[in-house]
Amino acid sequence: MDLKTAGDLVSSARTEGDALVIAVRGEIDLHNSSDLRTEIMDLIGKQSPKRLILNLEQVPYMDSSACAVLVETLRRMRTLGGKVYLVALQPRVKGLIEIARLGSIFTIAADEKEALG
Amino acid sequence: MHLLHLDITSDPACLKPVRHAVEAFCQSCGFDDKSTGEIGLVVNEAIANVTRHAYGGATDRPVQLRARYDDNVIEISLRDWGSGHDPSRCPPKKDPMVPGGLGMVCLRQLMDEMRFVPQPDGMLLTMKRKASLT
Repeated sequence: MDLKTAGDLVSSARTEGDALVIAVRGEIDLHNSSDLRTEIMDLIGKQSPKRLILNLEQVPYMDSSACAVLVETLRRMRTLGGKVYLVALQPRVKGLIEIARLGSIFTIAADEKEALG
Repeated sequence: MHLLHLDITSDPACLKPVRHAVEAFCQSCGFDDKSTGEIGLVVNEAIANVTRHAYGGATDRPVQLRARYDDNVIEISLRDWGSGHDPSRCPPKKDPMVPGGLGMVCLRQLMDEMRFVPQPDGMLLTMKRKASLT
């Protein structure tokens, strides 16, 4: 089921079984990361999913403030007993995820199909 | 020798255009795509640290960026007129689940040299990285 999204940083959101799939777009830095946080938390609050799949295919860049949003999202999902998948990481985002050692706490998937499977 | 001078404010809205300007500078100097992205990230993190810590979140304070490329080395300096906060004195980040400190991890890992030089009225950060040429 497609969901209505309010901001610019989420290009689409939908539920698929127990999963909430959110497609993020744009360069995320300290200027807009709090907006992304609001959009993601709002969707989680409404859906209470067991799995959250963040599709980052349209995110060419993110900084440490965006990583902080991802970690906060993971904490929130853990309180729901859920899991977070990061999908379709672009090279620069992948590089930062490695530096931040986030690969050890998130599940990284090549695409949505792999995460949903 | 290549030079880049940017006088900006501590407004996070400046991050994206500054990052793009630094990346374009790196590309014009012959840095490969990976190095260019890493240097752009380092500059982003350094300016964000200035806004958050040296200026306590104020978005209207001056930040001066100077970049110079010579003899296969890029040297970037960042000057602020804030609290004199030296992030390199903060304890290193250990747990990825604990927020904060990732910017300094980027600076330490992605630059060959990094030095915070206290000024009477703020802080000067200087960083160097040798080129990985395309």
